[in-house]
Amino acid sequence: MLKTLDLPALRQLLCAIAAEFELRVPVQPAPGMRLLAPWPVAEIALFGPPLQPKPTAAFFPQTQTLLTLGADASVELPSPPVRPLALFGLARADLQGIAFLDRFFSAPPADDVYQRLRRDALLIGLSGNCGTERKFLPLAGGHCDFELIAQGTGWWGRAHTPRGAHWLRELPAAEGADLTWLNEKSAQLIDEPQQLLARAAKLLVQERVPEEFWREIAARCILCCGCNQVCPTCNCFCVEDQLRGTNVERRRVWDSCQLDAFMREASGHNPLGTEALRTRRRIFHKLVADPQRWGEYGCVACGRCDAACPTGIGIFALCEQLVARYS
Amino acid sequence: MTINATLTTCPYCGTGCNFYLLADNGQLTGVAPAADHPVSRGQLCVKGWNAHAFVDHPARLTQPLIRRGGEFQPAAWDDALDLVHSRLSRLAAQHGPDSLMFFSSAKVSNEENYLLMKLARAGYGTNNIDHCARLCHASTVTGLAETLGSGAMTNSLSCFDVTELILVIGSNTTEQHPLIGSRILQAVERGARLIVADGRRIRLAQHADLHLRGTNGSDVALLCGMARVILDEGLEDRAFIESRCENFDAFRTSLAAFDLQRVAALTGLGEEEIRAAARLYAGAERAMIVYAMGITQHSHGVDNVRAVSNLALLTGNLGRPGTGINPLRGQNNVQGACDMGALPNVYTGYQKVEDSLIRRKFSAAWGTRLPEIPGMMATHAIEAAAQGKIKGMLILGENPMLSEANQGLVKRALEKLEFLAVIDIFPTETAQLATLVLPAACYAERDGSYTSTERRVQRGRQAVAPPGEARTDWQILCALLQRCGLAADYADPAAIMDEIATLTPSYGGISYARLEGDSVQWPCPDAGHPGTPILHRAQCTRGKGRFSPLSYRPSVELPDASYPLLLNTGRSYFHWHTGSMTRRSHLLEREEHEVQLEIHPEDALALKINPRQMVQVRSRRGCISARALLTERVPRGQVFLPFHFAEGAANALTNNVLDPEAGIPEFKVCAVRVTPC
Ligand code: SF4
Ligand code: SF4
Ligand code: SF4
Repeated sequence: MLKTLDLPALRQLLCAIAAEFELRVPVQPAPGMRLLAPWPVAEIALFGPPLQPKPTAAFFPQTQTLLTLGADASVELPSPPVRPLALFGLARADLQGIAFLDRFFSAPPADDVYQRLRRDALLIGLSGNCGTERKFLPLAGGHCDFELIAQGTGWWGRAHTPRGAHWLRELPAAEGADLTWLNEKSAQLIDEPQQLLARAAKLLVQERVPEEFWREIAARCILCCGCNQVCPTCNCFCVEDQLRGTNVERRRVWDSCQLDAFMREASGHNPLGTEALRTRRRIFHKLVADPQRWGEYGCVACGRCDAACPTGIGIFALCEQLVARYS
Repeated sequence: MTINATLTTCPYCGTGCNFYLLADNGQLTGVAPAADHPVSRGQLCVKGWNAHAFVDHPARLTQPLIRRGGEFQPAAWDDALDLVHSRLSRLAAQHGPDSLMFFSSAKVSNEENYLLMKLARAGYGTNNIDHCARLCHASTVTGLAETLGSGAMTNSLSCFDVTELILVIGSNTTEQHPLIGSRILQAVERGARLIVADGRRIRLAQHADLHLRGTNGSDVALLCGMARVILDEGLEDRAFIESRCENFDAFRTSLAAFDLQRVAALTGLGEEEIRAAARLYAGAERAMIVYAMGITQHSHGVDNVRAVSNLALLTGNLGRPGTGINPLRGQNNVQGACDMGALPNVYTGYQKVEDSLIRRKFSAAWGTRLPEIPGMMATHAIEAAAQGKIKGMLILGENPMLSEANQGLVKRALEKLEFLAVIDIFPTETAQLATLVLPAACYAERDGSYTSTERRVQRGRQAVAPPGEARTDWQILCALLQRCGLAADYADPAAIMDEIATLTPSYGGISYARLEGDSVQWPCPDAGHPGTPILHRAQCTRGKGRFSPLSYRPSVELPDASYPLLLNTGRSYFHWHTGSMTRRSHLLEREEHEVQLEIHPEDALALKINPRQMVQVRSRRGCISARALLTERVPRGQVFLPFHFAEGAANALTNNVLDPEAGIPEFKVCAVRVTPC
């Protein structure tokens, strides 16, 4: 059943959640920039561009301590959060990104550092008229405890888990609310990028994309790693040990498959020793390898890599060229 | 758990990207590019993306250290500051104030540069202050000030979006100013033409209409040869030359020596290539010249800059969108350090110390007498220290042991000093030689303003607390100013900027209140002024643009039988200068963790060097080991070394011969011998 909320009711709901969770909500520190900040905030950014940094960073930040080894051979793990996290304002693509990482980090051997932050966290989606200038964003339809669908001056609350239903239980029902049309609109929005990815993936599987294409794209890559840094499904990290006094602190740091040392062996040999091979791999991984392993693309069509790429070769720009040239 | 995001300016290159530093419980966890910023536009390069990584490195300096009996021992701040002041003032009293030298830094804020130059001049009575611009764009500051009246980039980064043609000469832009390099790539994508003049096959060369692989050090010949073709073929902008320039006839006469045959012989290029470049450049309605160290770091660096300037004047490519002479400044605040007068001959805004009216203005503001004679350049100060003429030095955030040419000489010079104080964030190779080391806050731990390559003044903001007892540079400098008996009770950097604005016409309208909104490009003479994206619009800063007659001078140390290869040095993409920050940033150091010598496969074959083999590289000044990287990126006869690595310091080899006017060393050309280990 759909519930209805206005702004005061939303604030009240978030206050109640904040009493039990470490709540983060979107704020807009500058035009064009929307990020998750700890509650309470002066003003919640209820619509706007995609969250930056990607919300998956709440569980898997760019730099994260894994453990500390003492001189006495003791092992200290980072302390779990006092209260579990609650993230509000997640778009459909953000939630899919979190679901992707959940599956990746819980596949054996499970990653307990990720789980420690992720376990018990409450995810709250935000959909409907909540994009830049209130542009319509597709309904989440799942992957969260509940979602709020922005429409008119308020929101419809839709629970996806019993926990979600619990938080929405006291809100009035949205009389006569009907999601049929919004679902259709969402399906259209979701379908278009999926079609493009599917066409590109097919060409890749059929090996119809020549080396030359990857060389051309790679020649434009300035190795900023931005495409990996912003991608909610990218999960590669490297490990750094630092000697701090008599302790060794082990951290992980987001890695990037565009870098030469990503696969370089100690001998200097590199199975992915050219930029063309690495660029091909990044796209191949997301569009061919991930579907084979997980049954879905490693791209949730969030649009971040296209915005972050300084030379205009994010995944959608690249796939458009690829499809135009080889299909 | 507290989480915050602090908007600040990237500490690496002069492009001026902004990002949010993300912190969790007072610890930096990452970076997010500023989406709405006119330069970053939601994008960064790999160094920007990793700019948080070194900040809490365990090697950070956390307390003042004084050398006692050969060992560094922790000291109290007051004792350390008293010692700095007593030693510097004693040396000044014994040997005269000009026995002191102050090195400022293009890594610290405008306010901090201002305070250090005030300390040198008003506190200790010497104009001996300089910073690493001496090693990078001294030639530009001298050359363009002479030809145009201002040594800064004439146009803005947004001009890349409207230009028709870009001539990149001596700038590996995608690696050294990556977010400017990406704009060039985007410009090419939308149809702009690109000429790259660089001996190395840099990434931009793959996208160029024309790649001129001339011999290092032959730029004057190439640029004068192009000018000659333009004039011979009547492609010059007559109206511009007549209405806006002077000294044209002398310039034209000087070109007699640059017939294409000679130019081709000097540069190693084909006559047709040179002709094609000249026609392409002159044929564009709007053409930008972009240059960097490949132009400036020569014993004829100022002549190179003059030659660049000539070409733009000749074709009227100045003062309009999409044109201009665009020296790309290296460090995030090298423009600002120059603007703030961390130079031996000028106060802020390039106001000359020799001008008695100007001197009187600063004297009155600071309440003290000021020295009249211009001071010593950093490169000369190293020589003077080696000769025992400079006795005491204060080095703020620089690492000359790795950054200056001829490391052997630098080491002798620093060791010979009676007193060396170093203020830094890490125990650098230079700090190891100091009498006393003061721990400083890094960019993420202090407020300040920085001026980017396009003269954009913007804020840096504190995101986390400095480690241990480390203090911000401006606090340290205020404490020293006070010990000199000068008023220095600024509440914060904003108050220092207010003082700068009252004394500096080009910064007159700049205040922190103003910088809270959009950044602003100087000149910005008053609070109501919108700033100046394009210089020299109706006329040049000096009035007429001045043509410079030139003659060709070869590089000083060219390959010969004993040292048969030409060594070119510079930066790599993943590291920054002396590596004190990037080599402590895991991802960057993982990517490139050792010094590699780029050598052409045919040269390697002749020398029996295998891929990845360790080699010795020897010049007349030193010898280092490096791993051989066989690549056609360098032309035959040339090898390339980055200068980031203490364990294989390129500057142990480089030649400290200087440009006579700008005092810049010839980092781009010396002769070496390479042998397998
Ligand atoms: S659009 Fe780009 S950043 Fe977003 S999920 Fe796809 S590949 Fe990753
Ligand atoms: S964002 Fe673009 S330029 Fe940067 S690494 Fe990715 S593909 Fe290359
Ligand atoms: S291009 Fe320069 S300013 Fe921008 S992120 Fe990279 S190093 Fe920093």
